[in-house]
Amino acid sequence: MKKLKSAIILIIALCNFFTVVAQQKTIIRGRVIDDFDKTTIIGANVVEYDKENRVVNGTITNVNGDFVLQMLDPTNIVKISVIGYKAQEIEVDPNKSIMVVLQSDDVALGEVTITAEAKSTNSLTNIDDRDKASSSVKIDLMDMQDAGVLSAADALQGKVSGLDIIAASGDPGSGSQLVIRGLSSMGNNQPLIVIDGIPQFRVDNSFDLSSADTEDISNLINIALQDIKSIEVLKDAASTAIYGSQGADGVLLIETHKGRMGKVQFDYQYRNNLNVQPPPIPMLNGDEYIMLQLEEWHNARGVFEIPPEIAYNKDYFDFYNYSANTDWLKEITKNGITHDHYFSVSGGGEKTRYFTSFSYLDEGGTTINTGYKRFSTRVNLDYFLSTKLLFQVKFNYTSSITDGNVSLQGNYWKSRNIREMAYIKAPNMSIWEYDANGNPTGEYFTPIQSYQGDGVTYFNPVAVAHLGKNDKNRNQLENTFTLQYRFNDWLTFRETISFQYAGEKSKNYLPYNAIGADWLQWNINKAEEGNSLNRQIRTETQIAFNSPFKNENHELSGAFTWITEQAGYEWMNIQSNRTPSTDIQDPAIDAQINWIGTGSGENRLTRSVNNLNYKLLDRYMFQAVLTADAHSSFGANNRWGLFQGLSAGWRFSNESFLESLTWLDESMLRASWGVSGRQPGNVYARFATYQSTGTGSYILEPAVAPQGIQLNNLRWEKISSYDFGLELNLFKERVYFEADIYEKVTNDLLFDPYQIPYTSGYSELTYLNGGQMTNNGWELMADFKIIRTKDWLWSVNFNTSQNINSFNKLPENFNSERSTSIGNEQYPLRVVEGEPIGSFFGFRYLGVWASDEDVVARDADGNTLHDSEGRPIPLRYTDSYTFKGGDPIYEDINNDGKIDLNDVVYIGDSNPNFIGGFGTTVKYKNFDFSTSFHYRLGFDIVNGIAMQTEGMNNRDNQSKAVLSRWRVQGQDEEGMLPRAYLNHPANNLGSDRYVEKGDFLRLNNVKISYRLSKELCNKIGVRKANIALSTRKLYTFTNYSGQDPEISQDATDPFWIGVDYARTPPPKVYTISIGVGF
Amino acid sequence: MVFAQFSCNDWLELIPPNGLIREEFWKTKEDVEAVLMASYESFAGLNRNLFIFGEIRGDMLEGDVNQGTGEQLLMENNIYPDNGICNWSNFYKVINYCNEVIKNAPLVQEMDNTFTDYKKQGLMAEAYFLRSLAYFYLVRLYKEVPLILEPSETDDADFYVTKSSEEVILNQLVSDLEEYRTFAPSGGFATIRENKGRASKASFDALLADIELWRFNYEAVIEHVQAIENNIEYTLMPGGRWFEMFFPGNSLEGIFEFQFDDNLNQKNGLYGTMNRNSSQYIPSQKALEMFAFEFASELVRGEDVTIKKYGEDEFIIWKYVGMAPDGQSVRSGSYQNSSNWIVYRLADVLLMKAEALSQLERYQEAMNIIIEIRDRGSVQPMPIANSPNAYEDAIMNERALELAYEGKRWFDLLRMGRRNNFARKDKLIEIIVSNVPSTQKRILAAKLTNPLGWYLPIFEDEIERNKNLVQNPYYDF
Repeated sequence: MKKLKSAIILIIALCNFFTVVAQQKTIIRGRVIDDFDKTTIIGANVVEYDKENRVVNGTITNVNGDFVLQMLDPTNIVKISVIGYKAQEIEVDPNKSIMVVLQSDDVALGEVTITAEAKSTNSLTNIDDRDKASSSVKIDLMDMQDAGVLSAADALQGKVSGLDIIAASGDPGSGSQLVIRGLSSMGNNQPLIVIDGIPQFRVDNSFDLSSADTEDISNLINIALQDIKSIEVLKDAASTAIYGSQGADGVLLIETHKGRMGKVQFDYQYRNNLNVQPPPIPMLNGDEYIMLQLEEWHNARGVFEIPPEIAYNKDYFDFYNYSANTDWLKEITKNGITHDHYFSVSGGGEKTRYFTSFSYLDEGGTTINTGYKRFSTRVNLDYFLSTKLLFQVKFNYTSSITDGNVSLQGNYWKSRNIREMAYIKAPNMSIWEYDANGNPTGEYFTPIQSYQGDGVTYFNPVAVAHLGKNDKNRNQLENTFTLQYRFNDWLTFRETISFQYAGEKSKNYLPYNAIGADWLQWNINKAEEGNSLNRQIRTETQIAFNSPFKNENHELSGAFTWITEQAGYEWMNIQSNRTPSTDIQDPAIDAQINWIGTGSGENRLTRSVNNLNYKLLDRYMFQAVLTADAHSSFGANNRWGLFQGLSAGWRFSNESFLESLTWLDESMLRASWGVSGRQPGNVYARFATYQSTGTGSYILEPAVAPQGIQLNNLRWEKISSYDFGLELNLFKERVYFEADIYEKVTNDLLFDPYQIPYTSGYSELTYLNGGQMTNNGWELMADFKIIRTKDWLWSVNFNTSQNINSFNKLPENFNSERSTSIGNEQYPLRVVEGEPIGSFFGFRYLGVWASDEDVVARDADGNTLHDSEGRPIPLRYTDSYTFKGGDPIYEDINNDGKIDLNDVVYIGDSNPNFIGGFGTTVKYKNFDFSTSFHYRLGFDIVNGIAMQTEGMNNRDNQSKAVLSRWRVQGQDEEGMLPRAYLNHPANNLGSDRYVEKGDFLRLNNVKISYRLSKELCNKIGVRKANIALSTRKLYTFTNYSGQDPEISQDATDPFWIGVDYARTPPPKVYTISIGVGF
Repeated sequence: MVFAQFSCNDWLELIPPNGLIREEFWKTKEDVEAVLMASYESFAGLNRNLFIFGEIRGDMLEGDVNQGTGEQLLMENNIYPDNGICNWSNFYKVINYCNEVIKNAPLVQEMDNTFTDYKKQGLMAEAYFLRSLAYFYLVRLYKEVPLILEPSETDDADFYVTKSSEEVILNQLVSDLEEYRTFAPSGGFATIRENKGRASKASFDALLADIELWRFNYEAVIEHVQAIENNIEYTLMPGGRWFEMFFPGNSLEGIFEFQFDDNLNQKNGLYGTMNRNSSQYIPSQKALEMFAFEFASELVRGEDVTIKKYGEDEFIIWKYVGMAPDGQSVRSGSYQNSSNWIVYRLADVLLMKAEALSQLERYQEAMNIIIEIRDRGSVQPMPIANSPNAYEDAIMNERALELAYEGKRWFDLLRMGRRNNFARKDKLIEIIVSNVPSTQKRILAAKLTNPLGWYLPIFEDEIERNKNLVQNPYYDF
């Protein structure tokens, strides 16, 4: 019993680094013993309360039952409490050692709060949160749980300065994208996610099937939100350096709940969300569409034969199929309902503590036939074997099913999802097929050839949504064992082994009647099945130490950690077509197999993390981290990467010369420098492998050839950063400020892949290190507790940050222009040294030529150019087309009478200038009201949907905006769109016409909750009960005309630009939540 | 510590599960041969390109409804650097494989005791032949291209190579070929498919003759062709068996043919390009006139043999579609994709010699060859005036008939246009312009007086990737 108690205290003491510093303050000492057997009590809480009975300070008794407490105010009260004993108030007397005798308590154990500030046992550095001199932010998620947020990423959005979170899509289970302090590399800028000390493995990119994209990565933190106690965001390299090669893009540390000593507690929470899609861009109806098409034909061809589909000809056998007014977007949109059940049991005695949770989430999407179901369970178990030995087990299992829709490619250059199709699908076509007499046939209308084109490229989105299948089933299991042994007061050994396993199965099916295609087409009754499996074993061996000497002025701590990681993956994919029946959706049964693929791989890493912290007089902090990583992606020459972090902090508020400033509470100035790195995602990239070529043989001899270029120069991408920060606590902690400025420089950027001349015999190097990118910025967070009384609490928080990205240097031989061709719906792509990644280039759009006579070329002074015979020269598009009335006016930058590549100018930038959020919380007695806003300012978006729906040069449906288009010579109206013209060569060039300001301010959360009072709870026999109403993403203030200004920053290559395609925008979510605890 | 370092490095040395890495490859002679086979295999995979490049800018072909846009633009001389056809990547892929063989064969010999000098030189000779053939195509298509003679093994290689002049490249090819001709195999393989499908001494001679003819070194052409004539393994097929050169192929006349076999998944794309339903390419009016009208006696090589008529006026190319010279038996099953792509055959090189002889004004000898070819085709000899131009026209016509749709016509015309300092370039321009819509004929004819317009532009992507490349000035606007 005693031993166990001491074990507990040892653990806590380890985590607890309060050291009393000799100052002219009241220090009380004493010992706590049991009234019955007079043994000392370990782990008793010694808590100081102020006059308003709030906890202001506290400590815990040590192995011998002794405590030392430095009181903030000698007039305060000190109470001693521990589970199983009656609490006792003691007499404050700094002049003698106080003996406290506690009496055991037979009444039910109440809630216990361990007030000691605990160092996370999962940290790789042996340092107190309070003393950290690097830049990180910790967010407590307890408050978020009854709001309508469903994932950790949702909860963080707008809460942390410098953290940019963009919902990848509003479809269920699709995750979000997280960017910390700007884009610092190409490809995947996702931060490392560490749950309870275990880095979550990333999905390997090398099996880049349709399933593996950036969205998958953030799914890793799609664990039940209620399990999460807090999330810490590590922002500068001094703090991420301990994660070496994995910390380059920032680190999110997630801590889950643990068991607490006390009576067993049951908690149940139910949430119901209503997800409502914001109204779509209004599109033309069938009649307006036909009118537009006729006008396009007329303007382009003059007199023409009207195709029967748009001729309103009653004798045409498909008349009823082509005379509908279908609102395709409305047909594929629905309101989604989400049910979320969460149940947890926690408690513990002196030997063990446990926390177990089960959750079931059933999320309904706002696009028909989309949904997401997730079951997850978590067990956290702490077992104290002796005073010196602690054994911990963590177990987590998540199973999820994502129900999505099939995307189809056809003849278009990329595949379209059903929402993209719904935008452009001809609205005069009906969903259901009618015969020539107008009687429904009961089939979807999916002609092989329609007015728009073939039936695969222009599929029926309703049919594909209902009949097609695209399901993903993911199972993830994680198991962690920790053994911790404490040698003596200052030395601890810890060994952690963790296993992670994730399996994913995807199933696709597309029956013949969902698309219009000939029976011999490869996508008829197409069945596809993919399996993938990821596994990882990680070991972590740590020796942590504290000051072995007793000197209150100097404090030393540190840790040496040796980590090994091995991760492997396997995948298998089979695709076949022409399954004999739509009921047979298994690609292996009696079908024609299109292809089968398999793959596997493994990567290994060893890392040594060495960390040393020194603190002088509780005022001056110095911390150093040295990490050495070796990764199997590199050849022996570049295998080891060294990553460093140095930080220093000055807690100036404790200086004696500032003591007179009573309004100044604990405040710190800090500075840090560090280096972290990134290794390539494809671990075998450095090898050139020799494999069978195309047909595998010539005549009868086998043919083998190298599949790539061996990379001798593959190196770590290195990111070094400086950070200067200030933390200010003022007016008895009513006001809190935190400000940071930083610079982040990425060297040896990993280009993935890097294009090289075809004369090499290849088209690319899998990777190339080169160039330099920098991010500069500042961040500000503020927290005001304006009112703080017994019944009222009102706090306001605010954060903002600015990041400036620039591509400083490009690799040698890098051609900074790509796709220099111009044309409709094309933006020439360029990278300019010194400009940020994601800059737009294009033409300047100046409106519409009112009439044919107005179309003239002008010189730089604005005078009309004339030809040799004195006639005005009309403006032309390259050499191929002369503009006419009704065509768009593009600025002829070089005044050569021709609109061509030379007239392309810089027209915008996809990077936001400011991101941040603000919010407020008001609590009155049992009521709780909170709201939070999220904003991104100063960035541009190419409105890709407008570009597709306002061009009027093809047979796609267009938006209602085109109703105000140029129709007759001389028409000149404000805001008028150009004329309709089928296959116009240049009426929709990539121009600033579609570049819009993306600035937005979004009301992210509004929540009101009511908690039943203690008395009422006691009466009805529950421990606690609450009810909450909340809405999420209720309103967005923006001038952006598209559906949603949240555009993902998926900068996989230097030529990336932010274009808005018709993803499902994030829905508005209305939530009711009920929680009961026993 | 040192020990830890070592064991750690072992633990971290992970090798990909698929394929062999470079350090494990290049150990035996079989490895060398396998990469050489990959060179053949990928060159053979270019067969449809060889057809397109060799024919569609000429006058024997007409595009049908299913002709691809890029090919249509090429045919109409409406060529821009963004036309994907201009991408030379597949040629350089072959070149890189050949370079791998040439560089590594000597290194493998040091490890493999069974790898004899004889075997090594033979395999290297084949690689030199394929590399030279690839460069010869490139020179005729682009005029100037980067000359790369080292494999792209690692990222230390220099990928940003500038263009070399036509003369430098051709000199390199001729010296390589002359040096390695001696080591080339001569009919020593077990199967006829290997003897015809792999570079032999005769293949070297044929390629050398072709290059020398392109360089107008007529004496050298005659010398190289004579070497083939002296080789008893090659004889002209009799007229009655003329079609056997295409089905089943590998005839006595064949010198070098890329081999295809549908059963081994080695598919020739020409059946797909030319069968009746594909509607991509049909014989041009000019071709019909040459086969069916003017030379009504073209029985052996004409209707139902090279071309085939359906109904009133629907024609297709029959050479690669039919199984017999009867216009009836269509290739079926695995035969459809198994026809060989003939690079050189005896009639071809004989006509090269005739061209060289006539340019040297040795008219009688030239006439004898023409008679031999026409005789075989059961066509009456015809009188030709004793002038180089008259002979040139006659030989061009003879080649057009004999070698129709074998990827020769455009290069023949180009050779004619270049000869004697572009003396007869108007004739070439006239032919090029015949493919073009009438509205553009005049403007194009004027533009094409610049011979650089006869060559292809460097593909836009390639120009973007390699800043050291200079675009063909004709396309640089």
